[in-house]
Amino acid sequence: MLDVGRHPKINLLAYSEVEEVSGEVGAFQIRVKQKARYVNADLCTGCGSCAEKCPSIVVDAYNVGLGNRKAIFKYFPQGIPSVYTIDAPQCRQLGQGKKCGVCAKVCQANAIDYEQKERTLDLEVGAIILATGYEVFDPSVIPEYAYDRIANVVTALEFERLLSASGPTAGHLDRPSEIAMEKEIEALEKEHKKLDRQVKQLEEKHGKTSSEVLDAAKGGTSIEGVDVAGWASSAEKLHGIEAVLSELHRKKATTHAAKKLAFIQCVGSRDFRFNRFCSSYCCMHSVKEAMIAYEHDNDVSTSIFCMDLRAVGRGFEEYKLRGGKQANIRYVRGRVAEITEDEAKNPIVWYESTANRQVVHEVFDMVVLATACVPSHGTKKLADLFGVELERNGFFKTHPLAPLNTSRPGIFVCGCAQGPMDIPESVAQASSAAARAAELVAPARHLAVAAK
Amino acid sequence: MINDVLVIGGGIAGIQAALDLAEMGVQVHMVEKLPSIGGKMAQLDKTFPTNDCAI
Repeated sequence: MLDVGRHPKINLLAYSEVEEVSGEVGAFQIRVKQKARYVNADLCTGCGSCAEKCPSIVVDAYNVGLGNRKAIFKYFPQGIPSVYTIDAPQCRQLGQGKKCGVCAKVCQANAIDYEQKERTLDLEVGAIILATGYEVFDPSVIPEYAYDRIANVVTALEFERLLSASGPTAGHLDRPSEIAMEKEIEALEKEHKKLDRQVKQLEEKHGKTSSEVLDAAKGGTSIEGVDVAGWASSAEKLHGIEAVLSELHRKKATTHAAKKLAFIQCVGSRDFRFNRFCSSYCCMHSVKEAMIAYEHDNDVSTSIFCMDLRAVGRGFEEYKLRGGKQANIRYVRGRVAEITEDEAKNPIVWYESTANRQVVHEVFDMVVLATACVPSHGTKKLADLFGVELERNGFFKTHPLAPLNTSRPGIFVCGCAQGPMDIPESVAQASSAAARAAELVAPARHLAVAAK
Repeated sequence: MINDVLVIGGGIAGIQAALDLAEMGVQVHMVEKLPSIGGKMAQLDKTFPTNDCAI
């Protein structure tokens, strides 16, 4: 990543999109729109003092909604280019029309530029490589897995962020239901503090206790110079919050980090309702996540529910076996029929045990859905723009004998834009696509040819 | 014939393609939709089958 930013031969246009494409192989004319960051990229040092002081809190897309960021942000800490960006719709000054300007005040490099406009650039290129990647399948359309209803059912990418040391839980396996509970406690404590201060001020001012005022309110009597109804309602609200808080604290004391995990394979892929194809990397991805979870905490045990576990690749079969032997992974053959939830917010997995020929259910701390790899959101639009065809499954169409060639000469495709694949295969394809493109644009060809 | 190449997408595939071309001496333009390059791989913690760090 760093090399891309530094290389003198790479012109990095981040936060940009292609608007228009014309021409043909050897001479394409491209119009690129570079969106406004509202930060001067040449001046920004990436120090982050703007984000520290920014008052707008936004849900973080990088942490797949599990954490928060500010309206002025860096997509992730090691992101290249290492400059900050203002998310204009979320910004008080730019999006909400309020007076703020905090980031401009704290920026020592004077890099904040609220007046910045988007730029249009015209490029001329000989060849194009499409490496637009993929999107994670949204499992909320599968009713039986209840992803949108049960907090502790997460996608593989969400689980990856929970496992990551740089993630929202610093790698600790806190369950989403408990993260939500902690947030609720925090918000309630804040409200409690505010109300408590108000009531205490009233008590001091009038020299009466809240219980006296509550009695007066009940009896319908008035006290001179005191708003009995208002005071009583504040006091009652305070009691209500205290009761809810103590209940939440009691619940929190009984919770623990996730120890018993279930992975469900082929969520949205190899399923005729959604995608018929195999997403290829998810089997190994689940084994990897289970192994990392076990490395973090040796009390973790994992069950992987699958139709078959596809460990096709160099060293993959050995990796799968190592997971089973050393990382407490149990491989269960059987497709999960339904996930329900118990009172302690534990997901219950219902499945058919093909070994015992029985329908059984088992309680887990957390369920991870190995979601399918589907085409990126803008793939259709991009295909129209570049004049290339798509497969029926929505990925870019390639020639069977030249798997990197799209339907249009001079345009190549590599990685998950072409279909689901793992990182080693993506990298191999990328090198191959680079070679194909270089072959096309090489300045000197067929010069050292001997006559026959 | 124009000698530049355009790479759309700054994930692991785009990064690898761009670096290979640049090392060959080809001028590359990389267009990425998000504020930073890195793509999905930057969201991963470790990679299989070696459990190496993703970033």
